[in-house]
Amino acid sequence: MTLALPRPVARRLSLRRPRPGLAAAGLVLLLALAAVIWPALFAGDPLAADPLRVLEAPSAQHWFGTDQLGRDVFDRVVHGARHSLSIGVAATVIAVGAGILLGLIAGLAHRVADEALSRGFDALAAFPLVLLALLFIAIAGTGTTSLVVAIGIATTPHYARVVRAQTLVVRQAAYVTHAVAFGGSRVRLVLRHVLPNVLGPIPVLAMIGLGEAVLIAAGLSFLGLGPQPPSPEWGAMLSEGRGYLHIAWWASVLPGAAVTATVISLTVIGRHLQNRFEGRPA
Amino acid sequence: MRRTRPAVAAIALALVLTACSSGTPQAGAEAGQPVSGGSLTWAVETEPITFNPHQYAQAKARLLVWNTFEALLTHDGQGGYLPWLSTGHEVSADGKTYTFTLRTDVTFSDGTKFDAGAVKANIDQFSVEGYNPAVLAVQLRNLDRVEVVDPATVTFHLRQPDVLLLDFLSSPQGAQVSPKSLKEAKNLKAGGPDLAGTGPFVLDHYTAGQEVVFTRNPAYNWAPANAGHTGPAYLDRITYRFLKESSVRVGALTSGQVQVVEGVPATDEALITANPQLSLSRGLNSGSAYAYYFNTAHAPFDDLRVRQAFREAVDVDAVLSGVYRGTATRAWSVIGPTSPFYDKTLEKTYGGDAAEANRLLDEAGWTARDADGFRTRDGKRLTVRLVQSAPFVRDRRDVLAQAVQAQVKQSASIDLNVAVVDQGTATQALADGQYEVFDNSRADTDAGAALNLLLHSGGAINRTGFTDPALDKLLEAGQAGPDQARRQAAYQQVQRLVVTDQALVLPLYAPADQVAAGTGVGGLGFEPTAGVPGSAYNLWLSK
Repeated sequence: MTLALPRPVARRLSLRRPRPGLAAAGLVLLLALAAVIWPALFAGDPLAADPLRVLEAPSAQHWFGTDQLGRDVFDRVVHGARHSLSIGVAATVIAVGAGILLGLIAGLAHRVADEALSRGFDALAAFPLVLLALLFIAIAGTGTTSLVVAIGIATTPHYARVVRAQTLVVRQAAYVTHAVAFGGSRVRLVLRHVLPNVLGPIPVLAMIGLGEAVLIAAGLSFLGLGPQPPSPEWGAMLSEGRGYLHIAWWASVLPGAAVTATVISLTVIGRHLQNRFEGRPA
Repeated sequence: MRRTRPAVAAIALALVLTACSSGTPQAGAEAGQPVSGGSLTWAVETEPITFNPHQYAQAKARLLVWNTFEALLTHDGQGGYLPWLSTGHEVSADGKTYTFTLRTDVTFSDGTKFDAGAVKANIDQFSVEGYNPAVLAVQLRNLDRVEVVDPATVTFHLRQPDVLLLDFLSSPQGAQVSPKSLKEAKNLKAGGPDLAGTGPFVLDHYTAGQEVVFTRNPAYNWAPANAGHTGPAYLDRITYRFLKESSVRVGALTSGQVQVVEGVPATDEALITANPQLSLSRGLNSGSAYAYYFNTAHAPFDDLRVRQAFREAVDVDAVLSGVYRGTATRAWSVIGPTSPFYDKTLEKTYGGDAAEANRLLDEAGWTARDADGFRTRDGKRLTVRLVQSAPFVRDRRDVLAQAVQAQVKQSASIDLNVAVVDQGTATQALADGQYEVFDNSRADTDAGAALNLLLHSGGAINRTGFTDPALDKLLEAGQAGPDQARRQAAYQQVQRLVVTDQALVLPLYAPADQVAAGTGVGGLGFEPTAGVPGSAYNLWLSK
């Protein structure tokens, strides 16, 4: 991740040039954010079905066409942003929270505890993400909550490992050893001196992780393990529309495009932030 | 007779080859003679939950049953019966004794001889605790005992006259399994290759989730008179692949990976009919219509007005035209329109009146609305739950449920909660009464069997919780027979009571089967009376 580019290349990249990709990604994310916060501004009722107007092609009235129940696909994609993105955000919040806590414990605790936790992270990380989420959902049942928790658990090691590594570095730092020498409560020591200094890379990681979480959420919903119909969730819409791909591509391709655009945008911006953070102009 | 068969096949083959090479318009399978040999792949929508015919429960699996198993009788398509493994039967004057004479030239594929003892072993198997309580409760309710008179004669003694016995003996549940298999099969209820039958094919192997393969039974020579030909089947081998996704099935057909598909969705019909290499055929199923049954055991459907309101809230015609693009036949009664017992006078007597639905719900006290716009009473939302069992979801019934869901919400603010779950979860929900709507269609060849299961107070799938001694009496009168007019009168009253007076049911559509095939496939047809795709016995492939 921190592979340094040869100097001349880095210099060439540092030239201020317009970045249409970044701008587009920002625009997509702004739109997605707006759709999450206030979907009604753009779109009508995502559940309004009209059995007499099913699978109609995109038109001025229905920008994205209608689906198998005569619902407006555009309305559903816009409202779906709230479902899909909030699942991703909630899962990432859980993963980051748990990751920081477990990573700190592993980095500060006794060797035995550290070993146990670290092997635990390894085991979790070695498990395919989707399989882990499936396993959890099989135990806890389908629905939005278990989907969020499942993805949260599955992506926790991602953050926990980074926090642990950072903690191991920070605990050796002079300011920490000095603080220990001055005495004071351990909790205060951790919160005041260790925690702020290990969090550096987390926002960037979370940004990239968010894209991944949204993608997994859509994948699991596609399998019918997420929000249940008629909720407009992107993955679920893809799944419902796939039976009509021969005759109505818009019912599945357009929700799929929404997932793709969002995830790519999140990743592009995440990478950009990462490069900035690591002092590389990219 | 047997020795001449290869010669006949060779001549047939020669004829087809000549036809092809001369380039006449008759060339191709439709005009050709049946050819022996070859192996065919058929993509089916539903994977059977069992290969034991006695446990048969999925109409979509019926086409597999008759490949390996056969019954004493078969339907002639005119409401009567033809002998199959029997040579004839007689009914005593009091309607309580049925005597069958049996074929003596039949052997099971495991070498066991078919005789009266085998018939008795099959019927007696049903009295094993928990084997198939549903059949015991309806079709065999009045059976006292089976008597082996001599190896070729068997007598059924009934406690009361019961015409459903004949329907049972022509149904998959009444199919004959080798008595040796009944004793020795490792998992009898699941069935499989170790369950031997007398049919034209033998189950070769089954791969769960993928396919089931049958190979020809070369010794077969006892087809019923209406089978279309005699002797062994034409195909050497037939593979049924389980392709749950309709688009995948249609894609497999258009790309030539399979030669036949069933369960062609209405939305894909145009793809088939536009392709000159493919043909489409359709058969209306027998039995009960696909309908929503209301659970009257608890609120809100314990109130007749709410049941009526739900029915009025759905514009069935609009829903069907949306989901099935005008190809579905609307049902108006519990009984399907092809049955002789169907009451035509029920048509257009109810449904689709949103104003009436709202009036009824207001009257029943569901006047308040919650934040999501659904009706409430005493702070409780008007929610009804439909639990669909995934192995039984066919014909896009999940999409249909969503369409109904949208309708009742828009027109009467009713919250219909739809969940498609695995069979275990569904069975549990039904056993615990955790449902308000139960969806079902039955492809029984005699609709009376379906009505007994669904509506009789002792019926195994009476999910309405509605019991009425008068209704039971009518159902029993319908089952006693044998006079067709009296049965008809009894079932007409049943339909009036259930559909009109009590509004226990919202009939939706008459199930049908749509089969598409490449033009090289011959002998495709639907089973008489049942209306489902027939077995592979008549199928052949042009070379």
